[in-house]
Amino acid sequence: MSTGLEREPAVEVTEDELEAIVGDRALARDDHLNAPGFVIRPDDVQDVLKDLRDEAGFDHLANLTAQEYPDRYESIYHLRKYADPTQEVSVVVPTTTDEPVSQTAEPVFRTADWHEREAFDLVGIDYEGHPDPRRILLPETWQGHPLSRGYDQEKPQLVTLTEHANPIQPDHHDDESDTMFLNIGPHHPATHGVLHIETVLDGETVVDVDPDIGYLHRCEEQMCQQGTYRHQIMPYPDRWDYVSAGLLNEWAYARVAEDLADIDVPEYAQVIRTMGAELCRIASHMLALATFALDVYGDFTAIFQYGMRDREVVQDILEDLTGQRLMFNYFRLGGVAWDLPEPREEFIEKTRDFLDGLPAKVDEYNDLLTGNEIFQIRTHDTGVLEPEVAKQYGCTGPVARGSGIDYDLRRDDPYGYYDNLEWDVVTKDGCDNYSRVLVRMQEVEESAKIIEQCLDLLEDWPEDERTVQSNVPRTLKPDADTEIYRSVEGAKGELGIYIRADGTDKPGRFKIRSPCFHNLSALPEMAEGEYIPDMIASLGSLDIVLGEVDR
Amino acid sequence: MSGATVAATDAASGLPAVPLQDTVLLPERIGELTGLDGFGLGGELIATLVSAVVIGSLMLTMTALAGPWAKRKITASFTDRIAVNQLGPWGIGIIIVDAVRMLSKELVIPEGVDRPAYDLAPIVVVASALLGFAVIPMGNGIQLADPEVGLAYVFAVSGIASLGLVMAGYSSANKYSLLGGLRAVAQNIAYEIPLVITGMSIVIFAGTLQLGEIVAAQHETLVEIAGISIPTWYAFVNPFAFVLFLVANFAEVGRNPFDTPEAPTEIVAGYQTEYSSVYFVLIYLGEFLHIFLGGAIIATIFLGGPAGPVLPGIIWFIIKIWAVFFATQWLRSAVPRVRIDQLIEIGWKGLLVLAFANLVLTAVIVGLIA
Amino acid sequence: MIGILKSMATTMKHALDGSTFTVEYPETAPDVSPRFRGVHKFSQERCIWCRQCENVCPNDTIQIVTNDQRQGEQYNLHIGQCIYCRLCEEVCPVDAILLTENFEFTADTKHDFVYNKEQLKAVPWYKDIDPLAAREPDRDAWVGEGDGEVDYQ
Repeated sequence: MSTGLEREPAVEVTEDELEAIVGDRALARDDHLNAPGFVIRPDDVQDVLKDLRDEAGFDHLANLTAQEYPDRYESIYHLRKYADPTQEVSVVVPTTTDEPVSQTAEPVFRTADWHEREAFDLVGIDYEGHPDPRRILLPETWQGHPLSRGYDQEKPQLVTLTEHANPIQPDHHDDESDTMFLNIGPHHPATHGVLHIETVLDGETVVDVDPDIGYLHRCEEQMCQQGTYRHQIMPYPDRWDYVSAGLLNEWAYARVAEDLADIDVPEYAQVIRTMGAELCRIASHMLALATFALDVYGDFTAIFQYGMRDREVVQDILEDLTGQRLMFNYFRLGGVAWDLPEPREEFIEKTRDFLDGLPAKVDEYNDLLTGNEIFQIRTHDTGVLEPEVAKQYGCTGPVARGSGIDYDLRRDDPYGYYDNLEWDVVTKDGCDNYSRVLVRMQEVEESAKIIEQCLDLLEDWPEDERTVQSNVPRTLKPDADTEIYRSVEGAKGELGIYIRADGTDKPGRFKIRSPCFHNLSALPEMAEGEYIPDMIASLGSLDIVLGEVDR
Repeated sequence: MSGATVAATDAASGLPAVPLQDTVLLPERIGELTGLDGFGLGGELIATLVSAVVIGSLMLTMTALAGPWAKRKITASFTDRIAVNQLGPWGIGIIIVDAVRMLSKELVIPEGVDRPAYDLAPIVVVASALLGFAVIPMGNGIQLADPEVGLAYVFAVSGIASLGLVMAGYSSANKYSLLGGLRAVAQNIAYEIPLVITGMSIVIFAGTLQLGEIVAAQHETLVEIAGISIPTWYAFVNPFAFVLFLVANFAEVGRNPFDTPEAPTEIVAGYQTEYSSVYFVLIYLGEFLHIFLGGAIIATIFLGGPAGPVLPGIIWFIIKIWAVFFATQWLRSAVPRVRIDQLIEIGWKGLLVLAFANLVLTAVIVGLIA
Repeated sequence: MIGILKSMATTMKHALDGSTFTVEYPETAPDVSPRFRGVHKFSQERCIWCRQCENVCPNDTIQIVTNDQRQGEQYNLHIGQCIYCRLCEEVCPVDAILLTENFEFTADTKHDFVYNKEQLKAVPWYKDIDPLAAREPDRDAWVGEGDGEVDYQ
């Protein structure tokens, strides 16, 4: 069910083989609900990860969770395979409380660069050998580590801005070309949110790009750690990827909490969830196309308005279904909040009308976008991201699929009703901006197929079997010290959540694996050596949402 | 200073002598109306000033209509929206509102700017466009002067605008402005030559640089189709040159697909980044004036100037320059912008070659016909 | 070139057919769905002061003050801080607090957005729609028609 390269089947690695690979570097076992876990020493990190990557085939560092227990710090490396994401292994690295130093994993997985900076920033673990140990989300002058246990949350801090020095002037300075340091953002018409990119330019060529994130850091992980599983966390995932992908984010949380507490979801609710999620995906991709056109075409482009107009129809449908146009809060643990609105026929017909009008709109976009020669010369061979580099950075979603990596959690790690429906995964091997745009446009059509099938199912579903929520008690207290990592295919890629339950009704640690975080970290690879307009276009084609990058 | 009346048979080309319009220029007419021409040189000077004010006001009115109102309405019609419609009929009151709003803003001048250049740049941009309008024949005798080197004068004067852009870009002490200014000068230089060369090919047709005579030379009938006589507008005679000139003109005025100096999504506002309030209004209006000037040149040398049936010449002229403006807005809504290196490539490699080919072909064909 | 011309033709088509997608608000007030979550309305008569809404609110927007006989004295809801998640309406056992469809509310300062129970009672319905009736149209189904007769003995 894929429109791309033939996928190589992943080699199944059994637990014994894993044990053999890790060998005697494993101090203990610490199994999580989703994967076997091996506790290793802090200075064995690179060796173990390299063996797991090269011998067992775990080439995807999905997440790096850092947390502090009363007696130790812990970094957890969640490894998966691009070829088969159901095979997972966790590598747990404990360190002492008074001197939390752990070896960096950056030489093995490039994505560990940003993750370890965040772990240092928020929790306080030092990573030895890290090429760039700065804070990433909080300002450079921040004192303390907010997610560590000893942090005083009541004390405010005043952060002063220091003049940004040219960071790589010594490296790139030569007598022929003078480089110029330019701050793009955080106030900028094209940065898709408050993103600060420190660029060093040689004329119009980009020599170095260093994204500086954290302007939209809203302490989402901490807020979720202070809310109850059952009700209070659910409104927050809407706000991570806030451009219309709310239901997809909510599904990430619903999936992880339901697997943690072993809650069943009735089939009818799964169908509604699938339909709602795919509507959100269409809306999100419409916005991505529209803003990409805005970056390449200029401010007065009609494509932006057409995209908004088409997205408006989807938002109307979602408003009928959930009650809000953007912050849905529609999923509940164990199902969804409401059934389809009454009268059902009207709602189903409205959605069907939208789906019928979609091919004409897609044709229009093809006329305006992909058929336009100037657009083609602007986006062909710009923002090139090779698949191996993408895998090193943990890129997922349309960014990875535009580079030929056939990775889609809806098919590979199925949830919801996806494996009972007929649809394809769209991959292209152009590796450039053009492919990513094409991937998104075709994914809109695939989502339309899924919604069509869901509507048919919902229409004919027998009336007395329409349970939207299974019976879940008002207070959920999962067993203490159970840990789980689960992910879904969000609009931008793999959106994963790691939860450690501590026996109360609130999570002990709630870590969000954000796809835009990984995609954005690949920007330097895509933009260096090209021109400024190409960098802006690449940034647009990555389709980042700062709410998800910074959380 | 009345315009030339009848030209002799054009011996060089052998084309029949075209009875030229008996053009009475505006200063003369105003002098006659007010009786100033009895005052000698002083009276002529005052009459000229008055007519300059008339023409300048006409063009500024066009710009005032275009900027706040027409641009919004046209963009909205392309994007399925209702634009300004609250104040006045069809929302024309927005012009007054916008003017008051813009002019009442605080004039923020950054600290490190190079003051003389920073202050002069907007004036240079506006002045270069207004100066160009002095020689454009707008129909019904509304023309300030008709020198024999009219076309060269117009090209020269409108090219001064790139000086203004560079001044703005460099003096603003802002890296975005610098980038915008550099792009502007690269773009203007690259596209000025194809523009002028294509203009030259028209001069070969008309045999003169004088704009009044170029307009008059387009009065003949090219061909009769179904009783409607198609005049020899050079757009019909040489559509290839027309398209070339259009493209080069869009690049000169900095409109899509060639609006890289201003590319708002890349370099914020390019050379205009640090300008606010009055200066911004001047640059903004200057941009529209340049678009209209480009349209005026196109109308004059390709579309027969103020020629057209039924309606008076000035109305046709206005229609034509608005048509060019409308074309820029249309392109803006549908066409992406090219990257600066691609733009330079298109200019130096593509358009230049085509412009020279066009010039050579025109020269050969005119020489053969003669 | 053809692609560029096709793009231009597409936008021109939109310009020529003259249809607009936007509405002129506020002359035409939009229709919102029955499930739309707007400003809250609180009924002191129905409230049993169980504090379920206060407990479930994700960002502590509701503040309830009761005296020592558990009788309600204050019910404050900061409609500027609220995230309109509707959890309070969902957990309320007596429909004492519900979210109307009204989204047109303004204030001069942020503090004016703290509504006490009188202000919450006075929140107007949007276009006179009671959302609960719209959200569950057969709410009265179990109530019955009421055409039985009382048999006075």
